[in-house]
Amino acid sequence: MNIIAEPQNEIKKERPKMRYLETDRPATPFAREHIKTVGAITVDSPRITCRNVNVYYGTKQAIDDVSLDIGRNAVIALIGPSGCGKSTFIRCLNRMNDTVIGCRVSGRIGIDEQNIYDPQMDVVLLRAQVGMVFQKPNPFPKSIYDNIAYGPRIHGLAANKLELDEIVETSLRKAGLWDEVKDNLAHPGTGLSGGQQQRLCIARTIAVGPEVILMDEPCSALDPIATARIEQLIDELREQFTIVIVTHSMQQAARVSQRTAYFHLGKLVEVGETAQLFTNPMHQLTEDYITGRFG
Amino acid sequence: MQRTTLLLTLFLMAAAAFYAGSRRSLDIVRGHTRELHSLPSYYGYFTALWCGLPALLIMGLWLAFETSIITHLVIAELPPAMQSLPDERINLIVNDIRNQVGGSAFAGESDPLIQAAAARYQRLKDISAKALTVVVLAVAIAGATFARQRIRKEQRARNMVESATVVFLIVCSTIAIFTTIGIVLSVLFESIQFFERVPVTDFLFGLHWSPQMAIRADQVGSSGAFGAVPLFTGTLLISAIAMLVAVPIGLMAAIYLSEYAAPKFRATAKPALEILAGIPTVVYGFFAALVVAPFIRDLGMQVGLSVSSESALAAGLVMGIMIIPFVSSLSDDVINAVPQALRDGAYALGATQSEAVRHVIIPAALPGIVGAILLAASRAIGETMIVVMAAGLSANLTANPLEAVTTVTVQIVTLLVGDQEFDSPKTLAAFALGLVLFVATLILNVIALYIVRRYREQYE
Ligand SMILES: Nc1ncnc2c1ncn2[C@@H]1O[C@H](COP(=O)(O)OP(=O)(O)OP(=O)(O)O)[C@@H](O)[C@H]1O
Ligand SMILES: [Mg+2]
Repeated sequence: MNIIAEPQNEIKKERPKMRYLETDRPATPFAREHIKTVGAITVDSPRITCRNVNVYYGTKQAIDDVSLDIGRNAVIALIGPSGCGKSTFIRCLNRMNDTVIGCRVSGRIGIDEQNIYDPQMDVVLLRAQVGMVFQKPNPFPKSIYDNIAYGPRIHGLAANKLELDEIVETSLRKAGLWDEVKDNLAHPGTGLSGGQQQRLCIARTIAVGPEVILMDEPCSALDPIATARIEQLIDELREQFTIVIVTHSMQQAARVSQRTAYFHLGKLVEVGETAQLFTNPMHQLTEDYITGRFG
Repeated sequence: MQRTTLLLTLFLMAAAAFYAGSRRSLDIVRGHTRELHSLPSYYGYFTALWCGLPALLIMGLWLAFETSIITHLVIAELPPAMQSLPDERINLIVNDIRNQVGGSAFAGESDPLIQAAAARYQRLKDISAKALTVVVLAVAIAGATFARQRIRKEQRARNMVESATVVFLIVCSTIAIFTTIGIVLSVLFESIQFFERVPVTDFLFGLHWSPQMAIRADQVGSSGAFGAVPLFTGTLLISAIAMLVAVPIGLMAAIYLSEYAAPKFRATAKPALEILAGIPTVVYGFFAALVVAPFIRDLGMQVGLSVSSESALAAGLVMGIMIIPFVSSLSDDVINAVPQALRDGAYALGATQSEAVRHVIIPAALPGIVGAILLAASRAIGETMIVVMAAGLSANLTANPLEAVTTVTVQIVTLLVGDQEFDSPKTLAAFALGLVLFVATLILNVIALYIVRRYREQYE
């Protein structure tokens, strides 16, 4: 056993147990018509609890009665065919859907037992707590330094320039970008390559010190090397953060996540331990999707 | 035939040629269109073009040279005594002849010689018109027949029509360019004439502007002073006041419209704001002169300031209102063009809306906003009507916005209003001022367009 593998094993041991029993697994999968979520939607000490979440764009329903717990210091992967509502769901978790005109969310989403859709909720604080990395890198047209420093500045996280420098450096180090950009922090962030920009956006997100990080297909535009780097980063971040990742790559979901949720046409079809979901899905729709029989 | 009838006939012939051409192409392949290189209609257009274009070209050339050729012929027939007259006299005679032909001279009063010449002129014109009809129709028929004969099934009619279209488009687009070049050249030549009489340095750096010249040698009065600096400062002063009004208001309005306002409100408010740009400037002018200027004067009197009844401030304020929509509409567009992803990025970091606007959206849109402001500025510099009415005509060299000033455009107007000699320095000065104005706004526009374009590339 090599040195790197060991801590990973440790983390796996610490992972909260799911309320899911081996014996619950049916001999034959649930039929395609079965509409109730299959698998363990709850975990022991959830960071985020979603109950009966519905999302409408105008009159069109994009999310249909989804209930799901997101566990502390763990990675949950959301998978599913294009247009099934993964992005819509993940954007509910930090109320980014507020900026979409005509979008309506119902149900309850709680972070540490506080309903984030409560009218009293401070959305600005919520978003500082629940950071988001978008599918397409979107660095600000500012210098690399200012891109990272922006969040800490508006939240007053650094008392002086020295502390700010410190935050910028640690964030860039965590995102694995420091060595590449340390000599030209004053260059514009938009001048970086796509993969570097994406890591810049990740660094920008963690600089604010969020407790939850939402990632919407963070590697969809990246080459395998950059992807591997970001996956490694996710693995490291898991120790401090709770991470929700949307991905189209099942290999990626299998590599980085502990739990996986499969969405289909706005419904949460199945959720379970990643290894179990990929090797032994309980729902016929899940099986169709992961075996490529989805049509 | 009348020229309009001729044109109409030509058009009908082209239509007939179109029909003949497409029929011919169908006949060649006995109805199997797929064997043709192009659709039958393209063979039709091909024939119609051959029918119409050469004929039109000949007609255009004919009409362009008709008058001068006929005039030449008529002059050649005049008695030698008249022909040896100086050019100006001959011009007058030709004028008389033309008036006679046009019927605007009294036949009884004029010279029999001229009457004879007029009759000849008229006859030549008639012949020319008949000849034109014959030639144009002949060319049209020949062209159509030629094209129709040339139709083969493998002929690339489509590509030929395409090239004809391209040529047509090029001609259209160059018309605008050549007109501009023509105007610039004419202004340039007149200005050079002016600078032959008044040194460039006197014009550009002189501090005294009083363009009145003595018309007769014995008249008392000035010899004219053409120092344009007071005009430049006046223009700058009024434009600066206008920009001070328009930029903040326009920018804030743009930010509100694009970032805060509900889509429904934006859909009505934006066009409403743009109506400001549609109000004729003369309306703004009398508003400035009759409402704003007296108001400012009264206000000034109450606080003990002496304000002249025509002031740079009044003109500047109203001009500022007028150019608000230039700033707001263009800025609104560029702010809207900032990708939603950037906004999302800022909000996802926990930025409030105004923080996102100030730190991310405005910086991202800044080049475009600067472009909008420069375009508005060039509009302000070129504005005339408001200034004529509200800021007065006196060329004061002052930076005090409460005094009357004048601008480059206003002086151009006053220099050219009324009966003027066309080669006095006074008149020519207008061209020199026009040149300065043109160069200034051109530079502003070029910078603005350059900035706007760089900004566009950034996000595409
Ligand atoms: N702004 C919007 N307005 C209206 N409908 C929308 C909007 N955004 C998404 N939708 C609809 O909601 C549904 C879910 O979209 P969503 O973007 O969440 O899918 P997704 O699972 O993220 O797909 P992909 O994998 O392609 O990113 C789709 O049917 C889409 O058409
Ligand atoms: Mg998506």
